[in-house]
Amino acid sequence: MTEITRRNMLTGAVAATAAVQLVTTAPAQAAAPPAGTQAPGWYRYKVGSIEVTVVTDGANKFKFTDNHVTNKSREEVNAGLAAAYYEKDMMTTPYNPVVVNTGAKLAVIDTGTGEANFERSKGTAGQFQRNLAASGIDRNAVDVVIISHFHGDHINGLLTPDNKLAYPNAEILVPAAEWKYFMDDGEMSRAPQGRMQDVFKNLRRVFDAVGRKVTPYEPNKELVPGVTSVATPGHTPGHNSHVIASGSSKVYVQGDVTHVPFLFVRHPDWHAFYDQDGKMAEDTRRKVYDMLVAEKMMVQGFHYPFPSLAHVEKSGSGYREIPVPWSPTI
Amino acid sequence: MTQFTRRNVLAGALAASAAAAPLAFPARAAAPPAGKQAAGFYRYKVGQFECTSINDGARTFPMPDGFVRNVPKDQALAAAEAAYMPKGMVTVPFNPQLINTGSKLVLIDTGFGPTPNAPVGLLAANMAAAGIDPKAIDIVVVSHLHPDHTNGIKNAEGGLLFPNAEIKVPAVDWAFWMSDDNMAKAPNDMMKNYFANTRKVYAGLADKVTKYEWGSEVAPGITALDASGHTPGHTAFAVASGNARVLVQSDVTNIPELFLRNPDWHVAFDIDPQKAVQTRRKFYDMAAAEKALVVGFHFTFPSMGYVEKADAGYRLVPIAWNPVL
Repeated sequence: MTEITRRNMLTGAVAATAAVQLVTTAPAQAAAPPAGTQAPGWYRYKVGSIEVTVVTDGANKFKFTDNHVTNKSREEVNAGLAAAYYEKDMMTTPYNPVVVNTGAKLAVIDTGTGEANFERSKGTAGQFQRNLAASGIDRNAVDVVIISHFHGDHINGLLTPDNKLAYPNAEILVPAAEWKYFMDDGEMSRAPQGRMQDVFKNLRRVFDAVGRKVTPYEPNKELVPGVTSVATPGHTPGHNSHVIASGSSKVYVQGDVTHVPFLFVRHPDWHAFYDQDGKMAEDTRRKVYDMLVAEKMMVQGFHYPFPSLAHVEKSGSGYREIPVPWSPTI
Repeated sequence: MTQFTRRNVLAGALAASAAAAPLAFPARAAAPPAGKQAAGFYRYKVGQFECTSINDGARTFPMPDGFVRNVPKDQALAAAEAAYMPKGMVTVPFNPQLINTGSKLVLIDTGFGPTPNAPVGLLAANMAAAGIDPKAIDIVVVSHLHPDHTNGIKNAEGGLLFPNAEIKVPAVDWAFWMSDDNMAKAPNDMMKNYFANTRKVYAGLADKVTKYEWGSEVAPGITALDASGHTPGHTAFAVASGNARVLVQSDVTNIPELFLRNPDWHVAFDIDPQKAVQTRRKFYDMAAAEKALVVGFHFTFPSMGYVEKADAGYRLVPIAWNPVL
């Protein structure tokens, strides 16, 4: 009799292999070929009478630079990754837009890295349109696209690979403060070289391709029935989150209030390289997460692992996200 | 554009603009809700093996008295509520695993089988969604002979769902459940039902099943491990290819929200609860020390995670969904 021992659990070592081989190699049926693809990445749930579909755009895995967390050393970041069972020196960033069907309007909140990125990333990202189609939603039926902020992983999906409108029948709603700041040529001229210049250039590329036909929105407005904007600045100057509410249910679609939760929910004082104003982003983060804990409100996080819906608890000096169990039915 | 729909007119929210819209204007109908959940399958690699976690569904039900035998019900309910289960309820998911070793297509556990009007028995549909033909399965390995693990060997007509598969059952469990003496001694209705179920499912198949022993490979790279306690022949598996391995815990714990957090709690289904606790602690002390990836039949889909020590027990850290294989 074999007990659970370190040896057999961890090596799979077998005493009686030879004897067993005689049995298992007998039938000559051809082996089934591997499928080679992941399941389509979408997941559906209800918020009151509103139907929400999380549609993943995929994930990007890359070697991170020393200043990836601007106020922490590589060693500290690696310790954070190890605590979450991620390999050292590598960052995995998932992208998860959501689709909201209010019954009256079909709205997409953030758009992912864009279809053109599917080829470029060898299929690891730029998956949104494929997964949207797999979920049974027609992009032509989308009435409204709501943008949380102007970083490329949120806006590039507004365009098809040939720079046409990805949602030809949709009104594009953008945060007014974001529009004012980023479309200001003076702000662009004062922005540092490198990444910030690239952010300004990219968003001009995208919004010029749609003829700058966008509708700026203010915080605390109901953008479509049941979806309300909330100012959450810091990550970018005009960053907005969105509350989906119906009946007695609410979900907080946070955008980038935190980047990946296994680092920045656990450690809200860590400043992601992408946070334009690290201190303001941290203040916003603590305010939002204290509210989520107090209200026991679920969060839907763009950079949380798919399906990126979670409860939030206080834990140590930060918070811990508890992923919502996959429900096989809606 | 405002649509003239029953919803917004009755709600009155947009009544003014709707009324002002010219009726001849071809308003686009609001998109109907999709109303359907994604298929429950998820792929992962273990070395050269391609594995698929396939969801058979989940049951949410009012927590029965005695669900946790050795703590007051209030305490068990509090733990469920702390894990965000609906008040007074408990949710138990079911997740068989398919392993393509390259030479064999192996299914570990089978779910409930066809179960009309129930949120379980989804294995066949989710397998179809994953593009897997039941006829292609070479080996079905059953971890133990409880209905949620074994009944899915049958199709709706009572025939074999996997007609070309060798069915492998743990020798110790087979001996236990097929013993008329043991059946006569069944202490309660639950156990009586389990004995009857085993006999029903395997009627006419006694000569066709292969009984496996602990320590043997049930398929290339898949080793059966003694994890007894939950049932006398309850088996876990080490799945290994190259330097990669995962542990398929079967029912070493029932739902982790209760029984990993509190490994000394006795779920009603554990036949020898003291032994089940010993097995659980031994298994998870090792899995935690080695940061081993664990697959749990009753973990929430896709039912994989790392386990770490926390308080007096353990905590499951679910893996992040990988959008590529």
